[in-house]
Amino acid sequence: MRIFFKKISFFLVVIFTVWLFIECFYRLTPNNYTEKHYRIQNNYTKTELLIFGNSHTFYGLNPRYFDQPAYNIANISQSIYFDKLLFDRHIDNFEKLKYVILNIEYTSLSQKDNTSEDFWRKHFYQAQMDLEVPIIPLYDIRQYSLALSRSFKNSINTINQYYKNGTIVECDEFGWGNTYTYENRRQNLDELAVRTVNKHEDNSMDFEVNTQRIKSMIEKCKAKNINVILVTMPVHKSYSEKINKEKAQAIFKVAEKLASENPTTYYLNLFYSQSFSDEDFFDPDHLNNKGAQKCSELINRFINQNI
Amino acid sequence: MLFNSLDYALFLPIVFLLYWFVFNKSLKNQNVFLLLVSYFFYACWNWKFLFLIVISTFINYYFAKQITKNNSHSKTFLWTGISLNLMILGFFKYYNFFLENFVAVFRLFGTELNSTPLKIILPIGISFYTFQGIAYLVDVYKKEIKASESWLSFSIFITFFPQLVAGPIERASNLLTQIDKKRSFDYAQAVTGIKLIALGLFEKMVIADNCAVIVDAVYSDFSNQTGSTLFFTSILFSFQIYGDFCGYSHIAIGSANLLGFNLTKNFNYPYLAKNIADFWRRWHISFSYWLRDYIYFPLGGSRKGEFNKTRNLTLVFLFSGIWHGADWTFVIYGAIHALLYIMFIYYRKWTKNIQLFSSKIADLLYDFIAIASTFIILTLARVFFRAENYSESIGYFKQMFSQTLFEKPNMSRLFVVLLFGFLFLEWLRKDKEHLLDISDIKSKSIRYSIYLTTIFLVFYNAGNQQSFIYFQF
Repeated sequence: MRIFFKKISFFLVVIFTVWLFIECFYRLTPNNYTEKHYRIQNNYTKTELLIFGNSHTFYGLNPRYFDQPAYNIANISQSIYFDKLLFDRHIDNFEKLKYVILNIEYTSLSQKDNTSEDFWRKHFYQAQMDLEVPIIPLYDIRQYSLALSRSFKNSINTINQYYKNGTIVECDEFGWGNTYTYENRRQNLDELAVRTVNKHEDNSMDFEVNTQRIKSMIEKCKAKNINVILVTMPVHKSYSEKINKEKAQAIFKVAEKLASENPTTYYLNLFYSQSFSDEDFFDPDHLNNKGAQKCSELINRFINQNI
Repeated sequence: MLFNSLDYALFLPIVFLLYWFVFNKSLKNQNVFLLLVSYFFYACWNWKFLFLIVISTFINYYFAKQITKNNSHSKTFLWTGISLNLMILGFFKYYNFFLENFVAVFRLFGTELNSTPLKIILPIGISFYTFQGIAYLVDVYKKEIKASESWLSFSIFITFFPQLVAGPIERASNLLTQIDKKRSFDYAQAVTGIKLIALGLFEKMVIADNCAVIVDAVYSDFSNQTGSTLFFTSILFSFQIYGDFCGYSHIAIGSANLLGFNLTKNFNYPYLAKNIADFWRRWHISFSYWLRDYIYFPLGGSRKGEFNKTRNLTLVFLFSGIWHGADWTFVIYGAIHALLYIMFIYYRKWTKNIQLFSSKIADLLYDFIAIASTFIILTLARVFFRAENYSESIGYFKQMFSQTLFEKPNMSRLFVVLLFGFLFLEWLRKDKEHLLDISDIKSKSIRYSIYLTTIFLVFYNAGNQQSFIYFQF
């Protein structure tokens, strides 16, 4: 038995060392989660407009182009579930908050909790954004180790990204995702759109759970005299042509209904907007920096004219 | 709890340490512990179905004892026990299938029956532990083994966690006897266990899961793919199912080795088979031998003439097909294997006196052609195994054998080359028990480099854990 443990320990030491290195990397290197958590707390006293949502608003809405001091707390693959957790965690701390932008996308309302997209992200939200995430089971060992929560392959890629760029933070001081630039935009949008639409299609028309979450956020905003702007972000025609139109209409109807039922809630649907050309998109469903400026200015005008 | 999950990576070492250091005072302690952790292992999937396993254990335990006690009615007890096992399996696995086909037959004659399929969850591993139970009853009836007197030992025999959900399908003469014997830690056995677990994880996470990504994507949109892409995808599926199931078996056997048990070898380089008969001696061995001993031989085997032999083989393969799943595609899959097997038997009979080659190189060439053609035929038959239904299989074949068959396939050729490289490595090492049996390599640093590379590749591909294909059976 002793020889067995001696030999096994050689491999265990190697594995443990690699694990420790990755764990330290995640704990010590700033990323989108630590950056946003730090910035949002520093903005409690001055922020008047807060942007929630997934990568569409993360890359697509630049707080610089709003008249009010704004912060973008959206993040990649951030579902309404996490929007709500962040909303509940921070909303009472803001002193001057007047507007909240909630993102309603093709994927938002039917999205289930704890999908493969959330597999590792939920642990980062809990560990690095100080959220209590109920979908993490009590006995899940990953909640104590960020290295275990991500796949080894992804960790290596992230470390590689860090050594290439010197950072893995992909947002600026306003929380805006600044890596989707006009210069780096993708060219093969039609081909990409097929894959993206396939990835986004969950064949579900069950909007109940996420609609209730939005309603709950609207109610809380109403009580605090905060206006809610529901936004459906623009997408490239290669994407909008391929999605299930019936489902899209049903989603828009839900958003319109929420706006019509609540006087402090507004809905701006830019899904089929003609104001955006090919050059404004990074890929079929994300704006680049130029598109983000255009979209942010458009929403800013909408706020100034309607609210 | 999947073998390729972090949960199992924690579960197994904890079990190992408690088993050898805390519960090692007596055999009874170890066995009680084994039973509890086996139940826990199963309950992690769905605790409600633990009752089903307990019922299944009770049926086989009780009827085996009755078979021994009542010599005059032993046959009645045997058939009652087998029937109860099959009724449970039939209800959970085949109820809706039979209902749908029953309704379809009536529809053919113009009668529309009102029927609602039941929402039945297929209990994981039911096909495996049911077959193990049936084999036990038959063996007791044939007086090849004695009925177990210990409820505890017999419960472990049915629920032993390494092989509970997807085999190997164990015989009581092998596993039950080990459960009843005092076990002591064996260094060589434990090292083999660790190697098998590492190899199994490699096969599952590096080979099968990477193939699965491509196979799933292509099958979901096969009508828009070229024939060549579909052809190579079917090859990838062959590697996927091999990596998946052989990987599972290796982890199962390795885990059992760590606890001092030797399970039946389930795979023996199946893609090096030179013909269909050879393939079934190498693929899912415990199941092949189960079919031989409990269906083929009782039906008469190859005795009583050619017609009976052909009939028996057909029945065995049809049964093997339907065992895999309640769908006509699996029946077709079984029928294809039956046809291939029967054709091979007659081919061998007619050509047994013909010696085409005599040199070493010619033999090698013959082996290569035989291995390659067996692999391709099996690969094509597997389209029925993978497709969702009959019409999808036919559509897949039509698209595959279209004019685009000879176009450049739309997939990484390097990946395909690496897969065949793995097969070539198997061919080079075919005399070894398994691929990580590298004790013949003298240099310690080379050996350790191979182990570390394997571990690195496993970790590199870990994360997006996928379930095992055979769990659905």
